[in-house]
Amino acid sequence: MLAVFQKEILIYFRSPIAYFVVAVFLLGTGYFFLYDIFSTGNAIMNETFRNMGILLITLIPLVSMRLFSSEYSGRTMELLTTLPIRPWQVVLGKYLGAVAILLVMTVATAINLVPMYLYGNPESSTILSGYLGFVLLGMACLAIGQFFSSLTQNQIVAALVTVSVLLAFWFIGHLKEFQSSDTLHDLFGYLSFANHFGDFIRGLLRSEGVLFYLIVSAIALTLNAGFLRWRR
Amino acid sequence: MSAAISLESVSKQYGPKTIVRDLSFQVGKGEIVGFLGPNGAGKTTTMRMIAGVSTATSGRVSVGGYDMATQNERAAEKIGYLPEHPPLYDTLEIGQYLRFVAKVKGVPRSEINSEIERVSLACRLEDVRRREIYKLSKGYRQRVGLAQALLGKPEVLLLDEPTAGLDPGQIQETREVIRKFGAEHAVLLSTHILPEVTMICQRVAIINDGRLLAIDSPANLQRAAEQSNQVTLTIRAPVTELEAELRTVNGVLGMIIHPLPGVEGVFSVNCLVESREGVEAAIARAVANRWELYRLERQQPTLENIFLRYIQSPTQKASN
Repeated sequence: MLAVFQKEILIYFRSPIAYFVVAVFLLGTGYFFLYDIFSTGNAIMNETFRNMGILLITLIPLVSMRLFSSEYSGRTMELLTTLPIRPWQVVLGKYLGAVAILLVMTVATAINLVPMYLYGNPESSTILSGYLGFVLLGMACLAIGQFFSSLTQNQIVAALVTVSVLLAFWFIGHLKEFQSSDTLHDLFGYLSFANHFGDFIRGLLRSEGVLFYLIVSAIALTLNAGFLRWRR
Repeated sequence: MSAAISLESVSKQYGPKTIVRDLSFQVGKGEIVGFLGPNGAGKTTTMRMIAGVSTATSGRVSVGGYDMATQNERAAEKIGYLPEHPPLYDTLEIGQYLRFVAKVKGVPRSEINSEIERVSLACRLEDVRRREIYKLSKGYRQRVGLAQALLGKPEVLLLDEPTAGLDPGQIQETREVIRKFGAEHAVLLSTHILPEVTMICQRVAIINDGRLLAIDSPANLQRAAEQSNQVTLTIRAPVTELEAELRTVNGVLGMIIHPLPGVEGVFSVNCLVESREGVEAAIARAVANRWELYRLERQQPTLENIFLRYIQSPTQKASN
């Protein structure tokens, strides 16, 4: 599993995709940060985090699309299935490799905090909670993206399906306003990626939110490993 | 049974299509078996089942005593596999790639470097280890694929057309590597190149249309084929009379007559004859006085002919 993880990191940084994604993400985040700070004049990151979330959802598919699709199209999946390694080890190794890219992205945005702490007095707990929410959201998105990548050998298809599904999960919360049934109302609210993320941004660190993202990741990764086993 | 690779009435179906039917054979330790068959015969499918890429629809595949259907993860430790297309990560350097495979194969950390050294030397990669894989020529890609399969000294080596894309010098070297490795391990290699089989394989399995037609040593296959030799002749004669005349010759079993392209009235005849001596002389006596005979030749059975004979008669029973 460690070997797969190392290989993924190596491949990410030997191809332009990781640099591109991180660069675009930092540019976007920097812009949102400046805009929000200057427009409100407050040392808070609520709006920035919200925009980062949407940016993340559109960029994550670019990170996750190659995870399995490229193994199929490069015919290296044949190697992975014949080496003495179990499907779940492949799935987890790849996932952790992608999560490492997510962490690089996240840590790099911390540069925004420097001026904020220099010239303002922000609430550290809220920011930390926001960052935690951001990483958890990213992890769930990556797991979903990785699963869709395992279904096709076409990276573009994997990315398109992933971005559609992620956007659907992001905006599904809006549907809850139209529901007359309480169950549906609650269900749509619960499934919304944006709602849970909103809690984190406001500094509401709830186990429900943490669990939600972890469970979504676990389901996607389990489906991923299950599909690989079935494929044989 | 101590066979390293064992197939017991293995079949593989994809939907309604049967790719491999009722295939049974064994490969023992220290044996190199050649897998011969035309494109689409089911060679690659069989290789993939043995390697554990796909599972058999029915029957039993076992490697090193482990059933591939239930214990494939244990068996995987014993297998080195070079698929038809070498499974390479284009963005990595050769050294990085081999290190990755060695780690996943569970080569102990302290031995990884010496193991990479060993396979690089065997496959002539020692000077190009820092080169990115996407820059490599087809021959080099093939050799990196072979090096990957040799890592960790697997008990069973499965090679799907290992010399494809190599130049003659490299082919020679690769055969030497395989021969050396096969002395102590079990090797199954598929190939189109018939002389290769005679040169390095102890036994040959011929398959067509998913069926095993024969499995035996190259020498025995050759001997078996001598029973129905061929005589070819080139002759200027009226075709119907020629055929009638040849049919009267004792020992001629059948024939195919086709006109020689570009020469009016001249025919090339392939006669299937009995193996005893003197049949070609009888043919010569029958036709030489009446028509103009340009060429008459008894063909020795090469592995090529044996191969063609087997795949052209799908009802042929396995000779072993």
